[in-house]
Amino acid sequence: MDWLEAELKRALARKDPEPGFGARLSARSRGGRPGTFSRRWLAAAASVLVLAGSGAAYRHYEGVRAKDKVMLAVRLAGGKLNQVQNRVLGVAK
Amino acid sequence: MMPVARAEQPVADFDGLVREHQAMVFSLAYHMLHDRALAEEVAQEVFLSLHRNLATLQSAAHVLFWLRQAAIRKAIDETRRRRRRPQVELEKVPEPAAGAAERDPMLGEVLRRLIAVLPGDARVVMVMRYQEDLDPSEIAELLEMPLATVKSHLHRSLAVLREKLARRGMGDR
Repeated sequence: MDWLEAELKRALARKDPEPGFGARLSARSRGGRPGTFSRRWLAAAASVLVLAGSGAAYRHYEGVRAKDKVMLAVRLAGGKLNQVQNRVLGVAK
Repeated sequence: MMPVARAEQPVADFDGLVREHQAMVFSLAYHMLHDRALAEEVAQEVFLSLHRNLATLQSAAHVLFWLRQAAIRKAIDETRRRRRRPQVELEKVPEPAAGAAERDPMLGEVLRRLIAVLPGDARVVMVMRYQEDLDPSEIAELLEMPLATVKSHLHRSLAVLREKLARRGMGDR
């Protein structure tokens, strides 16, 4: 091996990565790339909120419709009862 | 401390493999890319890939062979993807931007820079030869390249490096 090859071996000797390589690798293996973990959870949380919000709004809308139907039925029944009452009172006189 | 894997021994646990091979994988990527941050990213991808494939590797020697191949392939992919280092003919590699003070203490850095701008195959062969201390037949097997091609890359790259260094007055020993 001549001087150039010896210099090349020195120049290309193995170098350690920055300290904490293993820890960074472990973190990445658990949660994907740095930053991706939190973004993924934020997206999931936003989806859940939208779905929950949509569900609640739909249930509220259905409740209002049901209440309107009940009130209409009560008003119709009240009208009929009034008519019947008036007829009964008329016959009694 | 995890056991150190040797060629005849079975595959160690993943954490032990990371500790044992991180300098090798990181250095292969660094000498190919000449960028520490990028080299770390490549090295991490290599080890994540190793984690997924560990069950298929039968021995410590197999792991070492696999890691070298994976590191080189990912580094080459990264070079192509980012187009950070356009390929140039070896003879057209510019002289290092050396100042008057650039003497022997700078020789290592000059060599790393010259290696980093070699065409892809020549660069891989030189890194495998002088970082990993592999002989030409081992390099040929690892890179699935004809032995004559490996020898040609080595011979040609060394000749051009000598010439480049001589022009800078750094070649006489």
